Amino acid sequence: MAIKFERVGYEYQDIDGKGYLALADITLNINKTGEFITLIGETGSGKSTLAQHMNALLTPTEGRVHIFGVKISREGKKDKNLKLNPIRQKVGLVFQFPEYQLFEETVGNDIAFGPKNFGVSEKEAEERAKKMINIVGLDESYLSRSPFNLSGGEKKRVSIAGILAMEPDILVLDEPTSGLDPLGRNALLKVFYEIHQKLDKTVVIITHDMNTVYEYAKRVLVMREGNLVYDGAPTQLFSRKNVKNWNLDVPDILKVRRAIEEKLGITIEGETRNKADLMAKIGEALR
Amino acid sequence: MKNIVIGRYVPGNSFLYSMDPRTKLIALIVLMVAAFLIQSFAHMLVALLLVTSLLIFGKISVKRVYLGLRPLMFLLFFTFIFQILFNQEGDEIFVLPLHYTALSIFAAVAVAVFWFATKKRVRFKLLYFLITVVAIFAVFHFIDFGFLFARGTFRVFEEGLSTAFFIMVRLIIIIMLSTILTITTKPTDLNLGLERVLKPLGIVRINTEEIAMIISIALRYIPTLLDEANKIMLAQASRGVDFQEGKLKDKVVQIISLLVPMFIISFQRSDDLANAMEARSFVPGQPRTRLHVLTWKRLDTVAMVVSFLALTFVIVSRVVL
Repeated sequence: MAIKFERVGYEYQDIDGKGYLALADITLNINKTGEFITLIGETGSGKSTLAQHMNALLTPTEGRVHIFGVKISREGKKDKNLKLNPIRQKVGLVFQFPEYQLFEETVGNDIAFGPKNFGVSEKEAEERAKKMINIVGLDESYLSRSPFNLSGGEKKRVSIAGILAMEPDILVLDEPTSGLDPLGRNALLKVFYEIHQKLDKTVVIITHDMNTVYEYAKRVLVMREGNLVYDGAPTQLFSRKNVKNWNLDVPDILKVRRAIEEKLGITIEGETRNKADLMAKIGEALR
Repeated sequence: MKNIVIGRYVPGNSFLYSMDPRTKLIALIVLMVAAFLIQSFAHMLVALLLVTSLLIFGKISVKRVYLGLRPLMFLLFFTFIFQILFNQEGDEIFVLPLHYTALSIFAAVAVAVFWFATKKRVRFKLLYFLITVVAIFAVFHFIDFGFLFARGTFRVFEEGLSTAFFIMVRLIIIIMLSTILTITTKPTDLNLGLERVLKPLGIVRINTEEIAMIISIALRYIPTLLDEANKIMLAQASRGVDFQEGKLKDKVVQIISLLVPMFIISFQRSDDLANAMEARSFVPGQPRTRLHVLTWKRLDTVAMVVSFLALTFVIVSRVVL
């Protein structure tokens, strides 16, 4: 078990000592390999706070998080020998807004910044920058450009490349596709899916897009008011009755499928995660 | 970082909240001038007491203001020490002979190293530092054997001590008063109040409205920028920047990785703000109507009279004494 949450609670402290409970009693296991998880929920439901616990940026105020065998808890916080940096190399977290991390003169240097912090040699870091810029869908001419003259989508890709270059075991992405055009979004999602499939790495994506959830995710976590209310497969999630109460939209594919079933009076068997699946299944049902 | 309260409005309900911002601004200036003019030790303590009681009656948590003062503790402490060491006027009130011997220097260095090694484990850092300083002086005073290099004396002068005290209390009073103002006044009210108070400057062709707007926007954005700084630190920490540790060379990179995004974000924010203001037809210098109109209440007159009385009292006592 790579990341293990044990009854984790997190309270944001106000200046008067008034607390706001962002996470409550969360128990959760994430494997080192083979998982493709989406984390969904309304804004303010604690998704980002949960994600920031995954690489020890935040220390739980209650309970414990074990990350690659390192125990993170309130009691252990004072321990000076506790090294958090190695954890952050193993669990790469991409923030929602790239503006918070881009600072170097060139895109290349910025991507190489992370690996260099973790003791990767200059040359190797540059190699990785070259490799990663291609992976996120930009070409090498970007490496010498200033990160501040890029468009929003390009900045986003550069910030993702910066984390990928650290070669983390687990990749956590906070709304990686917000602010991208539909084509770019799909391309980037494919990249994450490939990383997951080819390198057998665990990927956790925070998203509001139910289509992403339905098409790619093997596992969905639903957050609501600081609680983890669902942890399981996406196909079962949307057939639950109380899904409406969680303010979640139904994925397009599922809407189309239900409409076709109703209009044609047929029942389609099995899972239909994407367009091709659905077409094939409709064909079968009509035969 | 989140503990910095300067410039943050906190909703509440007390007479300080219902006062007119103009009153609060003028009273702040008058009381600050008064605090600067106070010369007697007793008056200074009374002033400090009065300001503290203002906090209590105004239902502002003292803890909150103390938390706001804490980041400035170092500055206060530094000015205090500086005054004591370098102001050598008046009578000597404390003389401490010191002996610089090989043994005492060695012992002092040992104390300093011990402090440096253990300071991270101690909760009350400032107090611990003070104890260490006292310990070093004690070492130089009591260890008079070993190989003697030189003798010296540590002197504290009356003037030095009193100046140090006055500067410190004055700073505390000023910070407390201005914190009261910003905690109890909404930025929009503060803006309006400032504009009205500065209005007479319009005669000499100074655009008071713009100045008021600039000041209030600056105040408004302090907490926002602090939040942003916090987020940037988290984002950089996940790329392996360890803000807690590192050598000097690493520190430079750490600070750059924080400051550059900070700069970019501030410019972006101000650009967005300018656009948002223009989109709502804000034209500098044009007369605008207000949603909230300021009303002068009896409470304001009382507050005004009280603050001017305080100032008069201080001036009179200065002249007479």
